[in-house]
Amino acid sequence: MKSAPNFAVVGHPNKGKSSIVATLSQNDAIAIALEPGTTRSRQAYPLKVDGKTLYTLIDTPGFQRPRRVLEWLEAHSVSASDHSETLRAFVVQHKSDERFNDECELLTPLIDGAGIIYVVDGSVPYSAEHEAEMTILRWSGRPSLALINTIGTDDYSDTWQAALGQFFQVVRKFDAVRAPFEQHLSLLRAFGQLEPDWEKTLENATQFLSKQRQQRQYQSAGIIAKALIDMMSYQAKRTLANNQSTSTIDNSLAEELRTSWYQRQRMREQTLRIDIEHLYQHQRIRRQEAELQWHSDNDLFSEDSRNHWAVSKRYLATAGFGAGALSGVGIDALTFGSSFGTGALLGGLLGAAGSYYYGGKLLLPALKIGLLNNGLKTATFGPVQDSQFAYVVLGRAVDHWWHISHRNHAGRDMLDLIPADNHWIEGLDKESRKIIQKTLDKSRKQQSLDESLQNKFHEALEKCIAVYEDWLTKADI
Amino acid sequence: MTDRSLRLLLDFDGCAQRDNGQASVFLHRRDRKFALTCEEQGVKPSPQRWIAYINRFSDSDPELNQSTKLLRFWRRVNNGFVALGALFGLLSMLALLFYDGGQRINITVIIAFVAFQLLLALLTTVQSLVGWQPWRSLLQRFGSHSQSEIVSHVQPVLMARSAHMGGLCFALAGLISLLVMVLLQDLAFGWSTTLETNASAYHAIIAVISAPWAWLWPAAAPELGLVEATRFFRASGSQGDTDPALWGQWWPFIAMLWTTWALLPRLILYLVAGVLIRRKSRQLLGKHPAMRELMYRMETETLDTGNEHNDALDLPDLKTQLALTPLPKASILLSWAGAGDSELPIYLTHSKSMLAKIGGRVKLSEDQSTLEQVATKLAQESNRSVLLATRSWEPPTGELEDFITRAQERWPKGSRLVLVPLATNTALQPEQHQLLPWLRFACRIPAKFVSVSIMSLDHLSSTIQEGPKE
Repeated sequence: MKSAPNFAVVGHPNKGKSSIVATLSQNDAIAIALEPGTTRSRQAYPLKVDGKTLYTLIDTPGFQRPRRVLEWLEAHSVSASDHSETLRAFVVQHKSDERFNDECELLTPLIDGAGIIYVVDGSVPYSAEHEAEMTILRWSGRPSLALINTIGTDDYSDTWQAALGQFFQVVRKFDAVRAPFEQHLSLLRAFGQLEPDWEKTLENATQFLSKQRQQRQYQSAGIIAKALIDMMSYQAKRTLANNQSTSTIDNSLAEELRTSWYQRQRMREQTLRIDIEHLYQHQRIRRQEAELQWHSDNDLFSEDSRNHWAVSKRYLATAGFGAGALSGVGIDALTFGSSFGTGALLGGLLGAAGSYYYGGKLLLPALKIGLLNNGLKTATFGPVQDSQFAYVVLGRAVDHWWHISHRNHAGRDMLDLIPADNHWIEGLDKESRKIIQKTLDKSRKQQSLDESLQNKFHEALEKCIAVYEDWLTKADI
Repeated sequence: MTDRSLRLLLDFDGCAQRDNGQASVFLHRRDRKFALTCEEQGVKPSPQRWIAYINRFSDSDPELNQSTKLLRFWRRVNNGFVALGALFGLLSMLALLFYDGGQRINITVIIAFVAFQLLLALLTTVQSLVGWQPWRSLLQRFGSHSQSEIVSHVQPVLMARSAHMGGLCFALAGLISLLVMVLLQDLAFGWSTTLETNASAYHAIIAVISAPWAWLWPAAAPELGLVEATRFFRASGSQGDTDPALWGQWWPFIAMLWTTWALLPRLILYLVAGVLIRRKSRQLLGKHPAMRELMYRMETETLDTGNEHNDALDLPDLKTQLALTPLPKASILLSWAGAGDSELPIYLTHSKSMLAKIGGRVKLSEDQSTLEQVATKLAQESNRSVLLATRSWEPPTGELEDFITRAQERWPKGSRLVLVPLATNTALQPEQHQLLPWLRFACRIPAKFVSVSIMSLDHLSSTIQEGPKE
């Protein structure tokens, strides 16, 4: 049985080797810094399917003393046929030599049969000074691919491409921080083309990765759906002691419950963010305080957020009509159709009127005092009566999802979520709008949602995600 | 059997709820592993096996789990219905057969009571099918553990089964009471109604009611003669000329009426409730949202992209203790690894006694020879500063460090090496982020032998000229 291919990502220091590996292995916990020597030892990142390794990426330190290595190799080689043997001999002889630690670390995978992924920075001018390290790599006799990563803003990639073509079988451009997912797959396919035996494995790997991406999109919709239902139906509750008079505590109690309600909603939104980030294997975004900054500028309940993410009153009225009509159909069913759809029409009109009325106001939940069976009183705050609340949460959630799903794991900059406007939702089909509105209404009334409606809601949110992506793509064009 | 399906549903629901807070990656890996293990063993990955698999390391008392508690609660509800049913059955029959010797026991009342029983039984089943739970709050008060949505869906059929069990006990206790009363007393049955009806019409009703058993026990299906003879009117106040033995001939009919239309329907509906519980449990298990997710996790391969390794915090020390120094006057300019190959600022090359290239494509032996030449030159000069132009965007490497170490050893005392990182456009100053690694590099060289300088904007504005030739 053939072993899984290994790919050693090698190059000059600070050319983004770790960034390439971070993006392809979807690992945002790889140390990346603009400092030579950040990577001091090689590290393997295997891609496993059901525990079986399909391929392994190996991050390595950069060349530190290529001329010295080449000098040694040339001094110990008789002919071209012994190049790879000589390279092995170099590693064996120098593995305990601190000066050649980095070279030994990067050459070891090559003498073990790894393919070469040579990384250069396309944003700086081509330099013939790198030829010593390219020559050493050629001595290994391993299949090789050169990758032009772009770290800075300038672009010298064409010169690099022409020069690297003389040393490497394949030359590709790949921006580790900004390359879209399709390019990740295309790059992996290119890895597979380095050797005939690897092609099928890498093709399989790309299929698994594509499938995983689709699954994540589906799962994201589920996570958002759950959070929306949860937030729309949430009610802050407090049981009052028998001797507490409601008239004297009304104000402070309302304030207390309101604060607790707001806090819980904010926390729930944070949980949603983290769930989505973890789903896409972004474990470290929250530590960069991007969310905090985002929240201070665009508070969940601020007018600013509302202006950006709330939907139009017209949208609410049509969605409300659809949701109401869906409920009204039940009346028609009960009368075995003898009401000739009057139920649907009536339900639709009521739904539209309600949504239109509520849609224009920032209706916050009110404090309610109720009696418990055992004589105790209970004070409640919420659920929110304003459908716009859910559309604000939905807009922000979908926007966050988009940023996370399009963020490469090499990205270390702060996640800056700039509010978009609400036009994206206009692209959503009528049926999905109705389902969303109906689910939100039911959640608001704390009614139970049957499996069928839950599934439909999930599907509607999946469409939302697709519509948002489509809308952003068009906006970019 | 019934409890097995229900227990399976409840156990599954319990496991699903317990998984709620778990990371999806973990759940996927766990359940996919379970599916692969089943495949290896050639068995079907059923919900029972899954529950056993995920609980295989759990040593918690099964008595403490939610499903056991819930089933125990419903057993208690059942027992309550049994006790109440038996008690009320006994009392109801005694009330129905109350006979003070004056009036007859009215068959019509007993028929109506049985019809009411039948109606109640049917309503109970219909209610369970519709899912209406008017008694829900009562259950909660008595401590039902139905926190889960799934459990609340199965409650109507559970309640129907309990009610039918109660009804069954009610009917059985009633029947036994009837037989005992028949044995111990002489009961006088007759029929009476305010409506103007004749005996033949009443007999027709009786014949319809007794049709199910008439062929089996003809004595329990009263004949027209008996019906005609046993009509009574409360106002008449006398027994007339009816043979007293005839009044007692109704008891087989009453016994069969009770058995067939009260006891038997309850028994059938009790069994139906059991079937409904099994069916509902299976349906709910099949439709359980967690089941769909579980199937998905079992069918989908786990993909590990290689993100276990974490060295994000293992970063080099990025503090810079060194600042840029002003560019000193120097008569020697070295150029490292092709720096200024195309062009060098004239300010740097101006009035230099020695210009040389080192590093990069230059051979190591040539580096060594340049190093010796510089040592000789420095020994003759009082200004012992040497400028080393570098490309700011190419970070310092081990080879440069080696060169500096040897220079430190070979060059005369008081010599200084000044690194001058150049920008890609030599007419501009290098960017700050490109300078920082050079400053940190200089800081790491002992004895303050190395410093970093850049040309001021004034120097840069001057003309540039071609760099040194090899």
